[in-house]
Amino acid sequence: MLTVAPHLRTRRPSPTTVEYTVSTSPPPTLPLRLLLGLTILLRVTIGLSVLLLLYSKFLLSDYSTPLEPYSSRPQLQSNAFIWYLAYNLTTSRLGALFTHLATLTPPIVLLPASFTILYLLSLRLHTTESLLVLRGLGIQTSSSSSTFLSGSTTRFIPTEKIQDIFVNEAFRGFEVRYYLVVVVEGEESVVVVFPRLLPRRQILETVWRGVRGCLFEPEEKAG
Amino acid sequence: MPEHDGLMRIFWPVDVPRSNSPGIIVGWRNSGLDVFVVAILEDVDARSVENALKVGTLFRNASHPIERIYALCGQSAMHVLGLANSPGVEIENLQMHATTRPNLKTPQISCARAATIQIIMFDRPLPTRMQYISLSSISLALGDKSEMAIHEPGSVDAEEEREEMKDRQRTKKLVEKLKFHTVTNHRPSQKELALRRIVNQINCSWELHKLLQKNISLVGRRSRRSLSVSERVVESATTMRDFVLVAIWQIITVYIYPILRRGFVIGLLCHRVAAEALLLVLEWRAKPDYAALKDISATAQQVEIRLQQFCFWPHQYVTLRKRKDDWQSVTDSHPEYIRFYQSLWLVLNDIIIGIALGSYIIDHHEFLAERISEILSLYSIAALQRTIDWLMDWPAGLKLNNELAAFLGDLFLWVIDHWSNCIEALRPVLPHIILFIGFSSFAGASMPIALFSDMLSILTLHIYSFYLASARIFNWQYTILLSLFQLFRGKKHNVLRKRIDSCDYDLDQLLLGTILFTLLFFLLPTVVVFYLTFACSRMAIISLKAALDTLLACLNHFPLFALMLRIKDSQRLPGGICFELRDTQQFSGLFPNVPTPPPTSYIFLKSVPLTFRAMFHQYFQLGHRIRKHYLSPRVLLCLATGKFVPPIHRKNLYSLQYSMLPARRAGIMDMWHALTAQTPAKKSGLYDNLKVNGKRLNGSGRRHYGH
Repeated sequence: MLTVAPHLRTRRPSPTTVEYTVSTSPPPTLPLRLLLGLTILLRVTIGLSVLLLLYSKFLLSDYSTPLEPYSSRPQLQSNAFIWYLAYNLTTSRLGALFTHLATLTPPIVLLPASFTILYLLSLRLHTTESLLVLRGLGIQTSSSSSTFLSGSTTRFIPTEKIQDIFVNEAFRGFEVRYYLVVVVEGEESVVVVFPRLLPRRQILETVWRGVRGCLFEPEEKAG
Repeated sequence: MPEHDGLMRIFWPVDVPRSNSPGIIVGWRNSGLDVFVVAILEDVDARSVENALKVGTLFRNASHPIERIYALCGQSAMHVLGLANSPGVEIENLQMHATTRPNLKTPQISCARAATIQIIMFDRPLPTRMQYISLSSISLALGDKSEMAIHEPGSVDAEEEREEMKDRQRTKKLVEKLKFHTVTNHRPSQKELALRRIVNQINCSWELHKLLQKNISLVGRRSRRSLSVSERVVESATTMRDFVLVAIWQIITVYIYPILRRGFVIGLLCHRVAAEALLLVLEWRAKPDYAALKDISATAQQVEIRLQQFCFWPHQYVTLRKRKDDWQSVTDSHPEYIRFYQSLWLVLNDIIIGIALGSYIIDHHEFLAERISEILSLYSIAALQRTIDWLMDWPAGLKLNNELAAFLGDLFLWVIDHWSNCIEALRPVLPHIILFIGFSSFAGASMPIALFSDMLSILTLHIYSFYLASARIFNWQYTILLSLFQLFRGKKHNVLRKRIDSCDYDLDQLLLGTILFTLLFFLLPTVVVFYLTFACSRMAIISLKAALDTLLACLNHFPLFALMLRIKDSQRLPGGICFELRDTQQFSGLFPNVPTPPPTSYIFLKSVPLTFRAMFHQYFQLGHRIRKHYLSPRVLLCLATGKFVPPIHRKNLYSLQYSMLPARRAGIMDMWHALTAQTPAKKSGLYDNLKVNGKRLNGSGRRHYGH
């Protein structure tokens, strides 16, 4: 529901510049945005509770110094306020529950499990890959990373380095997948466009035709 | 060549002032419709700007010759590219009308000849902060060495290398085939060829902009001569006090500084001569293919690296000083700068850690000596003795051959006895050795680690020799068993043809061979257990040494400076460029008296910072090399058949640490010339030595570049 099959979006502000974006995210509507906001809220809640669990486990160990109660509420922008919050949180009923949970789980289970959960929480829902074609400059492939921790990776190929662009097919598991390839001059390996999504052939054909039409100047007529 | 598709490409700096007032757009014209905007000059006349550009008025008082910029940008002159915010004024066919508004982020541009427009906006990299952009990633290693490792012929690595070569050949052939796959034979257009020049133009743009804005007052309104005189008068009046100070400073620089400088150079040279002598000792080989001292000992290697660095620094520094005589936009020496400070910082860091470590070692040297001798006698002697005793006495229920086991065990035990006597003799000296290691660590934390690594190899010499001996015995037995097995089958190995032939043996030959085969086969387990024990302990020691070597590699090569730069100002470590297509703003109807522009796309050009993976590229390479050496099936086969597994050649392991050093160090005379040739060019004195990080603090150019 939150993701759809890879589909193509084209932005063409001028005939010499096109951006093809293949993405698994559905077109943004209001319910969808609300839902996405909800998932983010859920992620943050789960992440915070995992962190709280880890912190209660740390408080139970010998390495920690016990928190001291504050008589008055300290300044908002001070280190003391953080400790004040931490004390209040751990002594509340929720904190007691987490402390109880922390006593139940051995650290050898807790640590890998919580790190796995934190990693899973940082995964992106959608994959977006794009190809930007600029006549006279070159093409640029970009691919969003799988986690929120890093940005997208881009690769710019100047036109003079592009030897050819074509659609190829390959076996992958038990299916035949088509992929768009850029052959770069002087490089041993070719560059695969949309490497993570590998969209369907119709999309690739559209993109291929668009790139061929947009990238190179029309051939000069004789005379 | 005019473009026939009517595409106009405009490079537009983001920080060009967005105002309503009319101005003249000045910049480079790479080809007809391919322009690069450097600045918008306000309150001047287009004709006078054109004249000033031709005569060179706008480039007055440049700190360095403007021809250098011309050469970098690949153009012979700057041009007036169009007008800003002045609709209705007649312009040439190729020039453009631009409209900027304070509330609009992007300009609106129209040109008579353009059918479509690409506006590529970019942030000017600040050359004063050594920011720049480049098409390829900055290289942190010095790339004058070939990546190929050197192996002795016939060794395990050489064969692997050969296989790798074969692989490379195959891919090369594939790539050759790929070259046939060109459907369109596309001739590169001028716009495509201009990319490299444009990168330089972007890098130079900030300084040029400053220069143009500084000289804008010289254009037009007032006559030049009167202005320059009056300016000079004002300047001399305000800097009267400075003159006195400069005079005093001049005396110091003329009389005291040269002496100090000459003394310093001579000191450096003496140091260089001493370093050369030591390096010669370290690199001396009895025969060309013999191992030098630095190949055997980690300490020698460490000393060699340090000496090489000390030899290289003056050259690097002189190269960096030359940067001052050129525009700051010239980016050739920026990687050199990063490399120089990287190695300097690592050495200082090493020394700081070393002082902390050394003071700890010196304070506790007796305790440490006691602990070390305890561990030594426990693991390398007592544990070994117990294991051998266990092996002699049917280990884990395995019924070994008693006599052979007793013979081998007694042999090893006897050697261990002698060795333990030697260790006992060493015990009183050990605190002094530890003290020596402690003092050596004031030369950097890498020294005690290297010394410790060497000490480890010396103190476990007996295990090494046991491993050699048992591997030899096992290998002999194994090969004899193989050939006797062929005899048992009635075949033999033809050495000349390298194949198995059938062979008619006589009865007595067969009988004797079979008896020997049986005998040796039943003796095999006894030899195997001894071999396995020593091979395992040898592997443990090798991995310990590999860990120490990795620690050394971290101390000597960790890209600390690059990491810091990456966090502080990632623009200084360019790893390529990327473009970002922006949504077009709707202009139509915004400006009534402006002609509707052709379809325009707005693109932002950004510099991609170097990836962390590229920063640690060398470490990945090192890991790959170690894995290839120790975890390859060939090595496991060697281990299984009792052939000697050679430790990885130091040269391969340490190529990481030499990546910052030139392949061939410069001679003493080269250094002398480099250091003394600089003297005539010097004018402003000692302070020049201090301001190396790209900031000019001279009195005349009092520039304060903001954040």
